[in-house]
Amino acid sequence: MKIVRIHNELLGTYGDRGNADVLAYRAGLNGISADVVDISYRDVVPGDGDIYLLGGAEDAAQVLSCEALRGFDFKDCVVLAVCAGFQILGNSYFAGGVKQNGLGVIDMETVPGASRFVGDIAIESDVVGVTLTGFENHGGETNLAGGITPLGGVITGMGNGTSGVDGAVVGNVFGTYLHGPVLARNPEFADLLLECAIGHALPRVSDPIADEYAQWRRASIK
Amino acid sequence: MNQLRLQVAMVVARLAALLSQVLLKKSGETIAGRVLLILCPNAISLLARGRKVILVSATNGKTSTTRALAGFMATAGSVTTSKSGSNLSRGVASALMSKSEYAVLEVDELHLPLVAAASNPAAILLLNLTRDQLHRMHEVKRVADRWKEMASKTSATIVVDVDDPFLNYVVSDAAKSVKVSFGGAAGKHPDGAVCPACGAYLDWIGGLYSCGCGLSNHFSDKKFDGTSAAVRNEILANVTAELFGVPWHEVDTSTLERKVSRKFGNADCAIRLTKNPASWREALRGVSGGSVILILNAREVDGIDTSWLWDVDFSSLRGKRVVVTGERGMDLSYRLHVQGVENELVSEFSGAITKFSGDVEVLAAYTAFHGLLVRGL
Repeated sequence: MKIVRIHNELLGTYGDRGNADVLAYRAGLNGISADVVDISYRDVVPGDGDIYLLGGAEDAAQVLSCEALRGFDFKDCVVLAVCAGFQILGNSYFAGGVKQNGLGVIDMETVPGASRFVGDIAIESDVVGVTLTGFENHGGETNLAGGITPLGGVITGMGNGTSGVDGAVVGNVFGTYLHGPVLARNPEFADLLLECAIGHALPRVSDPIADEYAQWRRASIK
Repeated sequence: MNQLRLQVAMVVARLAALLSQVLLKKSGETIAGRVLLILCPNAISLLARGRKVILVSATNGKTSTTRALAGFMATAGSVTTSKSGSNLSRGVASALMSKSEYAVLEVDELHLPLVAAASNPAAILLLNLTRDQLHRMHEVKRVADRWKEMASKTSATIVVDVDDPFLNYVVSDAAKSVKVSFGGAAGKHPDGAVCPACGAYLDWIGGLYSCGCGLSNHFSDKKFDGTSAAVRNEILANVTAELFGVPWHEVDTSTLERKVSRKFGNADCAIRLTKNPASWREALRGVSGGSVILILNAREVDGIDTSWLWDVDFSSLRGKRVVVTGERGMDLSYRLHVQGVENELVSEFSGAITKFSGDVEVLAAYTAFHGLLVRGL
């Protein structure tokens, strides 16, 4: 399995590189050999990745990354996009106070929020089937077009903003504002992405430390 | 009128500090500064008059470098300096209550512009700027922008390490600066993928960068060899002291590492402060023994978001006896687990320490570090 970590030097502000490490680790527990391939800004994004990862970024880095990715078609890929990486998948977003064109993978728009959202976040995700926890730190408010499924409903925190939901799901493209990294905090979500990549369900692997960690965070954030 | 108000405020502040010491057994530093600034909001400005003020700020190394620089300046005249880690405006105000020719003050990154505007400093020393407490700082560039605005207004001479592109950017409009380079010895800046001046992608060759907009560390006012953060900070402190005619001081750079020795039970602990990716990397480089305790907290000053743990490479700990503790020890324990670093998680440091005898290296989060030094077990 090829896990493609895109532009981590730009989209890696909040530890999101760990999502790739957790995916590779849990793939290994399932007996699937997985490599994490780091694609930097100067590299061409390979078309044969099994899972693509986009992370959080500061404004200037977000714009650079988005422009470098223009032309790559994420629509049929398995993608996890967090925060700034999530925003660039929409039709538009703001960086440096200026409206920017997104990649148009998800029908949504991100605008500056009334204030910055910083803190623990928990969402109830029917898509993943569990409560997901993470930490959010963003100034954007994302409005999904009608018919776009969110990743979950916000229990604590802000998520997309005033709409009471977080993230978006289109096909196998998953977007969220949850850092943490989100897959370290939520092993069920990592397993879902692995299942999307291989095309069938996987037996639940035993990793008690991961489960204990996930449960502890869920109990801590209310 | 101003002076009368200041004198009255200082009397009340000293009284508050005394009460805090006697009744609450605290240092009284914070309360004195707090009371002083409430009763006399421009106290920093009034107290700074007539003396030479030097401000020191950075993500890492502020406290130890301030201490070293204060020592250098003491050879030139009387010096007032910050008490350890007391670096917000109230700490600055409290420190300035002592009379002296020079004041060498550690200042928090976000408080620096205000303190610089109030204290009319002769020099400002900036050591580095990397990711830290993002719940409070939000973004590195945001702090750099605030510093740049300060630098364009101050008449102080600003001493910076231009191998850090954020600091090079900060002094780009400064009236007076001393740009120091270590030839890129620190390697690529961990958050330096984008030019802070123009937003272009910044290509690095080792620790050297040169952007099309002109931001570059190929040229500097002074160039030195600097293999470790401690050595670089020592040199930067000396360059700052030289501005005041103070001769160069050779120091034992181990005193510039935030490392303290303490004995707990049968264990001889070397305790290092770790609070963000850059300080973890520096501390991990210093771990030579096979017994390690790691303590992670996530209180306000530690940074309440622990995501950055995944940006630190812990593989050098493989094969060592690693015990993890702290309020957020589980975050760290799982991160190590995924990287193949076997570790044992225990709930308290007092439990962790009983598992060792002899030399133990302790890497402690900010609040844990101070807790161990002040309260012990």
